[in-house]
Amino acid sequence: MRDFLKALLLFLLSFNHSYAGDVLTQITTRLAKTPITSGNFQQEKRLKILRKPLQSTGTFTYHQSKGVIWKTLTPVASLLLVNDTRLLTAQGELAVPAAFGKVFTAMLGGNLNQLSDGFSITGADQKSSWQLELKPKDELLKKIISSIVLSGDNELRLLEIQEAGGNATRIEFDKITHPTQLTSEQEADFEHLSP
Amino acid sequence: MVISILGSQALRRDWLETGFLALLPTTEQKPEIAKATKQHNELMARKVIWLTGAATSQAAIVQAQQLKQQLQQSGLFNRIQLEFSAQNYRESYQHLFPFRYQLLDSQTKLILTVNPKDLIAQNLEILYSPIGQMQSTDLERDPLLLFSRYFNAQNPIKLNVEQGVVILHDEQKYWALLLTDLQDNTNKLEKLEILLDLAGSAKSQAQAAGGDLMVSGMPLFTAVGAQSANQEISTVGIGSSVGIVLLMLLTFRSPRPLLLSFLAIGCGMFSALVLSVLFFGKINIITLVFGASLIGVADDYAVHFFCDSFGSEDWNPRRGLRYILPGLFIGLLTHLLSYAGLGFSPFPGLQEMAFFSAIGLLVAWLTVVMLFPVLLTSFKPEHEPKILKLTSYWQQHWPAWLLKNKRWLSVIVLVFIIGGIWQLTPRDDVRLLQSPPAELIKTADIIKQLFPSSQDNQFFLVSGNDQNDWHHNEQQLLKRLEALKQQHALKYYQGISDYWPNENDQRENYQLLKQTFYESGLLKQYMTDLGFTDAAVKAEQQQFLATENKSIALTPWLKIADETRQQLWLGCDSEHCSSIVSLTGISDLPALAELQNLPGVSLVDPVGDLSALFARYRVRASWLLVGAYALVFMGLGLKFGWRNGLTIISVPAVAALVSLAMMGWFDQLFSLFNLFALLLVLGIGIDDAVFFFMAEDKRASTSLAVTLSALTTLLAFGLLAVSSTEIVHAFGFTIATGILTALMCAPLIGFRAYKI
Repeated sequence: MRDFLKALLLFLLSFNHSYAGDVLTQITTRLAKTPITSGNFQQEKRLKILRKPLQSTGTFTYHQSKGVIWKTLTPVASLLLVNDTRLLTAQGELAVPAAFGKVFTAMLGGNLNQLSDGFSITGADQKSSWQLELKPKDELLKKIISSIVLSGDNELRLLEIQEAGGNATRIEFDKITHPTQLTSEQEADFEHLSP
Repeated sequence: MVISILGSQALRRDWLETGFLALLPTTEQKPEIAKATKQHNELMARKVIWLTGAATSQAAIVQAQQLKQQLQQSGLFNRIQLEFSAQNYRESYQHLFPFRYQLLDSQTKLILTVNPKDLIAQNLEILYSPIGQMQSTDLERDPLLLFSRYFNAQNPIKLNVEQGVVILHDEQKYWALLLTDLQDNTNKLEKLEILLDLAGSAKSQAQAAGGDLMVSGMPLFTAVGAQSANQEISTVGIGSSVGIVLLMLLTFRSPRPLLLSFLAIGCGMFSALVLSVLFFGKINIITLVFGASLIGVADDYAVHFFCDSFGSEDWNPRRGLRYILPGLFIGLLTHLLSYAGLGFSPFPGLQEMAFFSAIGLLVAWLTVVMLFPVLLTSFKPEHEPKILKLTSYWQQHWPAWLLKNKRWLSVIVLVFIIGGIWQLTPRDDVRLLQSPPAELIKTADIIKQLFPSSQDNQFFLVSGNDQNDWHHNEQQLLKRLEALKQQHALKYYQGISDYWPNENDQRENYQLLKQTFYESGLLKQYMTDLGFTDAAVKAEQQQFLATENKSIALTPWLKIADETRQQLWLGCDSEHCSSIVSLTGISDLPALAELQNLPGVSLVDPVGDLSALFARYRVRASWLLVGAYALVFMGLGLKFGWRNGLTIISVPAVAALVSLAMMGWFDQLFSLFNLFALLLVLGIGIDDAVFFFMAEDKRASTSLAVTLSALTTLLAFGLLAVSSTEIVHAFGFTIATGILTALMCAPLIGFRAYKI
């Protein structure tokens, strides 16, 4: 009996695994993949110790080779630039924490396949929308992030990060467009990232 | 006997030095600078840095983990660091968090002084940014994020970390970083060989697996240098031995002279080795390279002895000795004088070589003079060797030809000498002492590009009468360095006082926070706006009040600090406290050098200082050379008369000039060391000239002796010219050209006198 259960469990696990891979491929094909994606975001951070959430809005720009511009407009204007290997904030250069850059650019660029290296992924693909849950494999990252939930249709619409400490961040995207060229302002921002 | 007993004991110890730094002088520096330099060098002499490369960071990490196991098994290292775990952070958090109100980084302090509200703006930026969770995990215990600011400021070089491993990247590859320290800094030869093998095999393994490996560090340079020196010892040793064997056998057609020569050389070399080890404790491998070339010189005495046997019909060893003794004696004296010249240089390496060579020669000479008459009893060659015919023909016709064509010859020689010396440009760069393969330098450069935190050779030494004075001095220096950094004169600098404010500054920091945030109501406003409860605000206020009198002293602070920082602190003695400020990516050294006018600050530039020292001693050695020639001339003049003295000394003088000119024409490295080579040319040239001068009716056998000894010396020193170490090569080249010229000139001595 126990052997049977074990076998069942193994079967389910392996089934689950291939299923996740299929879902990921399906979703990735659904997502609009263009060299440039930009749009607005609304971010809400809930920190346990604060009585109210930290709400901010701004714009983002993804460029497939240059990285991401994350521009917060309210309540305090600030600029964050990130690519695979560099992370620039108003405080200067920071180490890219635990593959953050890759994850961030993969999500915004719709290259969800790349995420399977660092995360174990489960999810569902329905007609109107899809949802994925990512759990980090990296031991260090596990201590910070317990899970990331992504959902959307032909675009990524929602990103929720659940931190191990109980804090959570929810980012909604809208007004997503796929321009063929960067504006000169965006070009100038990306310029900071080139070595 | 005595020597061999001593020898068996001396050589049982670890007697071979392989580090090139050991050859360099330290005596010229102030003791505290010497101490700092020594400490700095010892650290550098142990560090090996490894980078495993692959197409993905994951693969690079896997490779690095395999490499780490290999390195652990080798047992060569006492530190192998691949994972830079959060352990560091946790530990420093544990010990330093209680002092967060006292330990402000300079940036935070500046903001608080100028406009405290900027601190709030910066914090909000962090908190609202999508990566904020990394820095704001501790918002509850540290609402102003003071500690995370302090901790981040301590690590100015941001490195990407995956699974705890530092990942660097260039266009093609991701590289995982592995830092190791060798167990000791003595750089034992066999350990260095293991290291080289290890690096080589690990590299081919990595490449076979589709990845790559880059290794760099001082020990590697030393290892490669030692390896090539080792090969050179055998090349020079075997080359000159084989040459000598052939020459001796061809000339004397009897094994006795050969065996006796080797007896003389063997005694000389062995005593030199043993006494040097006893005297210096350890001898450097480069000394041995030069020592190997001594074979050629030591052999000369024996050669003169044997050749003399061709000189007269009724030759016997005792009479022969009586005849050549004055020549041998003058030769020995000149050589010893040359070596004494080397010995008075401030370079431990040259002192060693001088001592080694002097002992070797002296013992070889004594063997010849004392043992040969006994051992050579009844030795009398029956044949007339072909080479004797050749040399006697040569010594008759060559000088005659020279004299016949002296007009145009002297013009050519003069033009040649002046032209060559005109082109002579000194190069005093100490780095030429070691000429590592280009590949090793390239790897080191690539690594430096990828991983900029490796320190430059130059550093500041800061001292003060006590800890407070030192702290003040270092702070003044760091302020100026920050300004220079903004002007891109350097990339980074590191001084302890940037991370550890002294007790006085800690009190000031606390008071600053008190005025700006905790007593002004700004804290309450900030926390309430963010959404903290009133209770949380109160708790924070109480926390702050409770730590008013806290402070952390340097010693406990250092205990938790990471190793590179601990190494910056040199400690206090009864008079001074001093520290090192390390520098990285210097692009404007003169601007840094100007900072030395600050109190207690000196810029230590070991490479630059040594190069300057080389240049200074090149000038001094030139005078030494002139002095040695003058001294020898005086000696010769007193013994043989001034005119004759002048004739004799002209041989080595012309040899030296031609040698210098050749260096100019062939664009050879010209430094201090060539001048020392010219000292040896003096000894050899005098040998040749004196023997011809005293030859009288034995010119034929003398020319054979001079030619043979010149050939053996040429074999020995000339072989140094094949060395891959540029300085050794230059040394060999100088001597080779010098000896050849001396050989060409020597037959002129006494030639006319003999004819008349």
